[in-house]
Amino acid sequence: MSQTWFDTFSRILVPVAGKLNNNRYLKVLRDAFMLAFPLTIFGSIAVVLANLPFLDKVMSKGTLSTFSAALSVAPQATMGIMSVFVVFGIGYYLAKSYDVEAVFGGAIALVSFLILTPFVWQTEGKEVVANVIPLDRLGAKGMFLGMIVAFLAGEIYRWVVQKDITIKMPAGVPPAVSRSFSALIPALITLSVFLIINIIVTQGFQTNMHDVIYRTIQSPLVGLGSGIVPTLAAIFITQILWFFGLHGQIIINSVMDPIWNTLSLENLNSYMDKGEVPHIINKQFMEIYTVGMGGTGMTLAVVIAMLFFMKSKQMKQIGKLAIGPGLFNVNEPVIFGLPIVMNPLIIFPWIIAPMAVTLVTYLAMSTGMVPPPTGVAVPWTVPIFINGIMATNSLAGGLLQIVNFSIVLLIWFPFLKFMDRMNLQKEQEEGSDETTKNAS
Amino acid sequence: MKKILLACSSGMSTSLLMTKMQAYAKEIGEETEIWAVGQDQAKKEMEKADVVLIGPQMSFLKGELQKEAKKYGIPVEVIDMVAYGLADGKKVYEQAIKLIEERS
Repeated sequence: MSQTWFDTFSRILVPVAGKLNNNRYLKVLRDAFMLAFPLTIFGSIAVVLANLPFLDKVMSKGTLSTFSAALSVAPQATMGIMSVFVVFGIGYYLAKSYDVEAVFGGAIALVSFLILTPFVWQTEGKEVVANVIPLDRLGAKGMFLGMIVAFLAGEIYRWVVQKDITIKMPAGVPPAVSRSFSALIPALITLSVFLIINIIVTQGFQTNMHDVIYRTIQSPLVGLGSGIVPTLAAIFITQILWFFGLHGQIIINSVMDPIWNTLSLENLNSYMDKGEVPHIINKQFMEIYTVGMGGTGMTLAVVIAMLFFMKSKQMKQIGKLAIGPGLFNVNEPVIFGLPIVMNPLIIFPWIIAPMAVTLVTYLAMSTGMVPPPTGVAVPWTVPIFINGIMATNSLAGGLLQIVNFSIVLLIWFPFLKFMDRMNLQKEQEEGSDETTKNAS
Repeated sequence: MKKILLACSSGMSTSLLMTKMQAYAKEIGEETEIWAVGQDQAKKEMEKADVVLIGPQMSFLKGELQKEAKKYGIPVEVIDMVAYGLADGKKVYEQAIKLIEERS
């Protein structure tokens, strides 16, 4: 592959990647989900503890249910109402990106979202309970409405502030006081917009924005994202981007995360409710069963092969360097050291192995041999096997990774061997050059 | 004292390089401060640095970070790919020093 070819592609890809990475809305969305992350981990730990496999052997049935009930408030207060944090986060970070008072941006976004939320709940017997906020509307079900409203509210708020339609206080008024006044007009205008929308939708159409957005946008998009074909396409693009030396996940995930995270939340709700999970593809599927096997491209198998089965000095050296970070799913040494970037010799295994393994994982989970991830958040730096068990709450989840590991090894092996032989030849030539030099 | 800021997506993969660079600086007896951050903090941390080096997988950040770096008059450059992959502390350290010297 010639240098000019690489340059041409870089010239096209780098600006596109930069645009996606630096896009204001995608950046805000990424930060908002990051805000929810520590809370999610807290909730996840509680779910893991409540579902440890041996608990039913050491506790009586009564104690076990008390124990689970005591812990269940932790996931409910975090993942159960995740949209609240995401909505606040979007409002906050969006306002911050425009350099207007951020905390008001967050609060106004949250209230706008609540204005559109019906404060009634229908029981299964169609009985209507008033003066309650249905929890699921603040969780997975309200996620897309929340994101849309938060962005709109944030934009209206900052637009009014920047138009300078604010009440100005005379000098000498304490800054905190004048700040709360300066947010008054923008808040009133923004919230009125959503109140009017809500009146039109509820009075005019006898429905609510939650149901409208859920049916027209969230449900179709999330349904599409849970399919295997779009998932393989996402992996394919990620691998191609990394092949050109660009951080594939940063670019693809900023678009896919809302969908994958919603699928995870739906899984977790259902898991806590019934012990079953509806979706195979979700955030943890992507993190644990693609990245969680040594990093992007599942390269732990590649590192092990280099360490134990390759003879050239160069590959052994990279193997040694890459094994430590690789165990924790950081694989830049392989990507830039082997290298994978712009290396025509490995483009085939680099792209095919993750796609093949993802398909195997999907089949194993859809046939019921291995349970799909429960939606419990597992940090992506947790090593292979352990992360698989944690994500699925089953030993089978870890064993599947061992099978996947072997598949990656098999696909890569002939290509690595070929590179190894070329390296050896080069090293021998260099070695003999040196001996002749020394002799003369 | 020379201050070198390394930036990548979350500051994880550059932290490996950071340790290697610190070790090299110590070896040659130079007093330096080298630290690694994620892309979101890079803009904030920049004012304390003499040079900013970005991991090659984040090369698309260069334009944006350069804009910010102009305020402080410090250079921003992408780390050499092979040196990054091999976590070659010496080579990247020298790249950083060269950039600092070129500026002054």
